[in-house]
Amino acid sequence: MNKILSIFSLIFLSIIYSGCKNRNNEVIVYCSVDQIFSEPVLKDFEQQTGIKVRPVYDTEETKSTGVLNRLIAEKDNPQCDVFWSGDPLRNNVLRLKGITTPYISNQTELIPRYFRANDNQWIGFSARARVLIFNKKLITMDSLPGSILDLIKPKYRGKFAMANPLFGTTTFHVAVLFTYLGEEQARQLLNNLKTNDIVIATSNGDVKKRVIQGEVAFGIADSDDAFEAKKESRDVDYIFLDQQKNGIGSLIIPNAVSLIKNSPHNENGKKLIDYLLTRETEIKLAKSCAQMPLIKDTEVPSGIPSLDDILPMKVDYDQTSQTLEKTQTWIKEWLEK
Amino acid sequence: MVRKISKFLAKNILTIFLGCLLVIPVLVLLCNWISDFGNSAVSGLFKKDNLILIGKSFLLSGTASLLATSLGSVCGFILNKYTFAFKGFYKLVLLIPLLIPDYVYAVAWKDAWQLLFGAGTNINSYTTVIFVHILVFSPIAMLITGSAISQVNRGIEEAGLLMISFRKMLLKILIPIIRPSFTISFLLILIFSLSDFSVPAFFGVRTFTTEIFTQFSAFYNYQAAMGQSVFLLVICMILMFSESRYLSDAPFFAIHTKGSNPKLYNCDNLKFLLHSFLILQLLVAVILPVFILFFQSFSGSEFLLGKAWKLLSPTILQSSVLALSSAFIISVIGLWTSWLKEREKYKLPNTVLMILFIIPSTVLGIAIIGFFNKPVLNFIYASSLMIIIGYIGRFAFISARILGNGIRQIPLSLEEAATVAGIGSLRKYLKITLPLLIPSLFASFVLVFILCFGELGTTIMVYPPGTELMPVKFFTISANAPQALTSSMSLINFGIIISFIGTFYIIGRKVFKRFSYE
Repeated sequence: MNKILSIFSLIFLSIIYSGCKNRNNEVIVYCSVDQIFSEPVLKDFEQQTGIKVRPVYDTEETKSTGVLNRLIAEKDNPQCDVFWSGDPLRNNVLRLKGITTPYISNQTELIPRYFRANDNQWIGFSARARVLIFNKKLITMDSLPGSILDLIKPKYRGKFAMANPLFGTTTFHVAVLFTYLGEEQARQLLNNLKTNDIVIATSNGDVKKRVIQGEVAFGIADSDDAFEAKKESRDVDYIFLDQQKNGIGSLIIPNAVSLIKNSPHNENGKKLIDYLLTRETEIKLAKSCAQMPLIKDTEVPSGIPSLDDILPMKVDYDQTSQTLEKTQTWIKEWLEK
Repeated sequence: MVRKISKFLAKNILTIFLGCLLVIPVLVLLCNWISDFGNSAVSGLFKKDNLILIGKSFLLSGTASLLATSLGSVCGFILNKYTFAFKGFYKLVLLIPLLIPDYVYAVAWKDAWQLLFGAGTNINSYTTVIFVHILVFSPIAMLITGSAISQVNRGIEEAGLLMISFRKMLLKILIPIIRPSFTISFLLILIFSLSDFSVPAFFGVRTFTTEIFTQFSAFYNYQAAMGQSVFLLVICMILMFSESRYLSDAPFFAIHTKGSNPKLYNCDNLKFLLHSFLILQLLVAVILPVFILFFQSFSGSEFLLGKAWKLLSPTILQSSVLALSSAFIISVIGLWTSWLKEREKYKLPNTVLMILFIIPSTVLGIAIIGFFNKPVLNFIYASSLMIIIGYIGRFAFISARILGNGIRQIPLSLEEAATVAGIGSLRKYLKITLPLLIPSLFASFVLVFILCFGELGTTIMVYPPGTELMPVKFFTISANAPQALTSSMSLINFGIIISFIGTFYIIGRKVFKRFSYE
């Protein structure tokens, strides 16, 4: 009995000691980009700089609840130095709550102005696109819709899926459609999609799975999901929507990184941000999950789409964030109809 | 004087400890919510939509709970009243659904359905959520009812059988005696089902819990999320209050049978029927989902079991050490709480643990983050103590209930005899009560270990940066991983838990043999 008590006391003391350790040479990053892709990048940073990275992972599929709510709860005594998100919307939420701070460096200047917040509270890098992922056994390339607006055609009734628009990148996509089409037209589009029996999946990963399994013929997902789906099944392929001349273009969603205001390891945080905004990181993410580099003249590995070959949708990220706030309640009601 | 002080400390230190670690953080959060949003927050709760949604959620969870209790109770009855071959095997294997995270279970069952009936078959409905909840939670009823049945004194049944038929004895004597165990199973399953997020979310069913989650994570609307959490909390509290008021003496999960030597029946003419029933349940609840996980693990274009092991292996040590230490601390707290309740008739710590048990995990996580994230408390906030505090809030109530049952089964006469002999309270406790409670302590330790090992809701909110824990890594990796990798990770997760249970089983046999007092 005494032995057991001693062992547990020792464990208990070591746990307390771990909380008291002085850790100067480290950086704390909260990351909502899928761990399978972000972890190798952070490990490389650790090796190259000798700065210990202590990450907290979450994922868009778990709706970033963990890190976002944690960052909000930690506002008065920040523990995190850098927030790395899969899309700029989460960073904008933090920005509006006064949790992030602007950051400008030589490295941030490499990123096109368009992919940064006006006040540099978030900086974009390595982007994904919204694509149409389809099962070749169920639908031929010729029969696919060319535009997101085609999804309301009766021939596609019940044949396609989209993730829950209250969460993840689908939130962003729908908010952009509201900004682009105007509120009335966007509402009409969503209502027509509902009439056309759109399948609402829990996440983009779920859309991917339903297409691979043949539950639906096609679905709207992110390019990294499509890339993974192609690796998983030979029956799956993807296309970019709205690429016609004068088309509305495909939505481009950059990763976004923010420096946290009054963070404990501010300088190390800046070093990590600069590292994430390098060509090397963009190439790594292009290879691992088909993300498209944003820094001009970065070499794109073969088989990975390049921003130069896609017609992008014109998005005002700040305006989209504002639209999002206004439309979320209506979208929730639309879902519950 | 010294005696009075030590008695006061023994009685109140635990309450103060729980108060500082968990009650004050929750109260601070609640006060902030009320002061920030005032009356509008409270009145918003009684909107028609909210009431309809909570009604629907209760209907869903109530149905699932009723059916899970019925199924589990029938299994508990068969396995504890009849003698037949492979009984021990069935008892052990039918507990497996409790060990698989319910979201993994939901995925496996949906895939099994589509494998059997085709990919186009749509099963997203209330019925499927109820079905999965029945399979996942019925082992709880099986454990509780089984435990109650095995405590019924054979003399009562035999006396009844002298006068009436078996069927009448069952209806008029046995079922009324064990009725509280049905009620407590029903209430516990109802609370588990009501607070479950992952299964309804996966099948696209809107419940009150998914609504709370939506308010937290899509709208970052703390006012609505907190309000709905409080609403759910109040309802669960009313349910649990009835449980503690009227059913606290009901068997929960007893380890001993207090020398009752339960009556067992032969089932020669029912053998085929009983085996068929148990095999069917085994097939639906265990074999099919586990088979699907195996099938998916090996069906991908590449073999991913090695990769899954490489990803999860760094988490095994940390997760195990943390779950073992938490199980130890929680069992000590459970022991203390139950001793105060059963022997000192001091119920406050038990009530505190009960309230903490029903707080949604996200709310608990936010409460302890808000409270402990202060520079002066950084030694707690930046360490794994935060996870242990979260686990105490989530699971100490279960430990207290198991140990409370254990204490109730120790004859008071033993302690009274010691008092007459002039033995002091502490010595009496250490030399009589504690040794007799070792099997219950061991059972509490094992159950809490399993629960801590798989806990995700609070852990993902509070785990310190740089810590690698199995449920968190499993969840974050599986988000965008191929299905074969996710299934491989589930299998590894499952394998590790089974290995621990195997080890505990071997140790447990020795412990039970040494400390048995029947």
